[in-house]
Amino acid sequence: MRTFAPAKAGQKRAPRQPRRRYSRLLTTLALLPALMLAAAVSGCSASGEAKTRLIVTGSTTILPIAEISSESFQKANPGARVLVSGVGSSAGIESVSSGSADIGTSSRDLKPEEKSLGLVDTPIAYDAIAVIVNPSNPVRALTKVQVKAIFQGRIKNWREVGGPDMPIGLVNRDEASGTREAFSKIVLDKEPFDPAAAVLPGTGQVRAVVESSPSAIGYISLGFVTPQVKALTVDGVRPSVATVVDGSYPVRRLLHFFTKGVPEPLAKRYIDYVLSADVQSTIVRDAGFIPITARTESGEQSGRKDAK
Amino acid sequence: MTACPDDERHGERGPLLAPQPGFEGAVADVPPVEVVRESVQTPEGDLRLVSPSTVVREWLLERLFLLCACAAVAGVLLIFLFVGVRGWPVFAEVGVAKFLGGRVWLPTSEAFGILPLIFGSFAVMAGALVLGTPLAVGTAVFLSEIASPRVRAWIRPAVELLAGIPSVIYGFFGLLILRPIVAQVSGGLGFGLLTGWMILAVMIVPTIATLTEDALRSLPNGIREASYAMGATPWQTIYKVLLPAAKIGIIDAIILGMGRAIGETMAVLMVVGNAPVFPSGVGRPFSTLTTQIVMDMPYATGEHRTALFGMAIILFIVSMTLVASVRIVSRLGAQR
Repeated sequence: MRTFAPAKAGQKRAPRQPRRRYSRLLTTLALLPALMLAAAVSGCSASGEAKTRLIVTGSTTILPIAEISSESFQKANPGARVLVSGVGSSAGIESVSSGSADIGTSSRDLKPEEKSLGLVDTPIAYDAIAVIVNPSNPVRALTKVQVKAIFQGRIKNWREVGGPDMPIGLVNRDEASGTREAFSKIVLDKEPFDPAAAVLPGTGQVRAVVESSPSAIGYISLGFVTPQVKALTVDGVRPSVATVVDGSYPVRRLLHFFTKGVPEPLAKRYIDYVLSADVQSTIVRDAGFIPITARTESGEQSGRKDAK
Repeated sequence: MTACPDDERHGERGPLLAPQPGFEGAVADVPPVEVVRESVQTPEGDLRLVSPSTVVREWLLERLFLLCACAAVAGVLLIFLFVGVRGWPVFAEVGVAKFLGGRVWLPTSEAFGILPLIFGSFAVMAGALVLGTPLAVGTAVFLSEIASPRVRAWIRPAVELLAGIPSVIYGFFGLLILRPIVAQVSGGLGFGLLTGWMILAVMIVPTIATLTEDALRSLPNGIREASYAMGATPWQTIYKVLLPAAKIGIIDAIILGMGRAIGETMAVLMVVGNAPVFPSGVGRPFSTLTTQIVMDMPYATGEHRTALFGMAIILFIVSMTLVASVRIVSRLGAQR
């Protein structure tokens, strides 16, 4: 709207103010490449539609892995289109079994009634959650039952779990968080959190608060633990890649890709790509998960230290 | 504005000077454009004084500015309609009493009581005003009555800069620096009213200080001189003469500060802890209407989403009440 008046005025005054003509010329020049680009893009997508498409849908936890890997996969495989969406694990399993998706992603195992759907399971990563406290806190170990009681507000003082006489400062995640969902499922058996806990929108904020508050306790994905916070042992097991892989650390789960029967060639290629060492050691780790390939790498300690 | 050259031309020729004294005497809110149009419409001969292109340009510019004004009004109306339509059902589905009076906000269990959030919004605003108003009015008095021009030239931009700092920066400062200090005083993690008050108090200073300074400066110099002539000291002049005289303007400033405080979201979100409960102390997490909307929007569906729009309606009503009271207060002031 703002350009409307000068343009009008410019028409009348064009002879006196040649600059205006240049600006219009410039605008036209600037528009040309944009138009060409638009034409090119529409041409591209038109030819892309004709080739094979892969629909990947399900868990929002897996969304970062699926989305970022789909971009580089499409770059490496011109013509292939991977459509990724996050609708929740159950909806993902439902979609792949009904045939409306090629791959259903899920952050949980199949329920008994889903076992008969003929789905093939490909685990792609581990998700482990560390319970973290301030390094100055003398408490080193908690049981899963104690962690649950703390996050439900039934244990309110560190004294009750062998620490100093200091009220526990609970730090929770927001409800949109996949980590919260997983923690709630694995540790709290889906029972409610203490509603008076501080709710923070992000792993970084939880870590920053625990770093600076002696009484705080929170939980973050294992991949984001830094030396400035202390990860507690749960049921006597220290969280690390090794204990996650061998299954002894209790606050862990597998992330799955499900296909209906044996995957089709394009789906197979995409799954193999996600499982490749390259993707596992970059995209999967950057998203805060533990690579499924860690199963075979022995001796390596916890995940990425310099997580963003 | 673009009509300036033509205005000068009118000035050179005698006859068209006629409307101008009238303009000078008229109230200030008659726009200068009016004068030009009058000269265009005066009988015959005068028409030659403005070229056709000027007439067209004037006409277009007037329409353009009208359009701008309409766009602003349409924006408010559209947002209000959108929020209203999306949020209205919550009053029917959940019920006014259960929605506004409910003490439990647990949307995943179908509990949509926003009383703790309303409490949080007003509690954090009230404390911020108590802390921020003296700070802001003091700043304004200093700038308008005490500071030398050189000092003022440094302090005024600094105060205005406060208004330009993005609120997420305030929030970050509050989260990482203020909160741990508060935690040592209040116990707990330092999330809560105390931290919220301090951050918001600083954030509303520019709003209140700038408007209060305007109010003080608009006072005629005569009353200062009269006060000094009666033998009053500067301090007596300030608090017995100037502040009472600028009272209406200061009240306006405080009400607008309230609006800023109740609408602030990002900075508050980072320091209040976002627990949708009545806090058990000033150092315990709580939540406000605005922060809860931000926290819940990413995953809310169905009735939960409707409830969030319902909260937006409440916020709308609060801010409209504030704007209306500014107008009423100003009118009362004008009547005196």
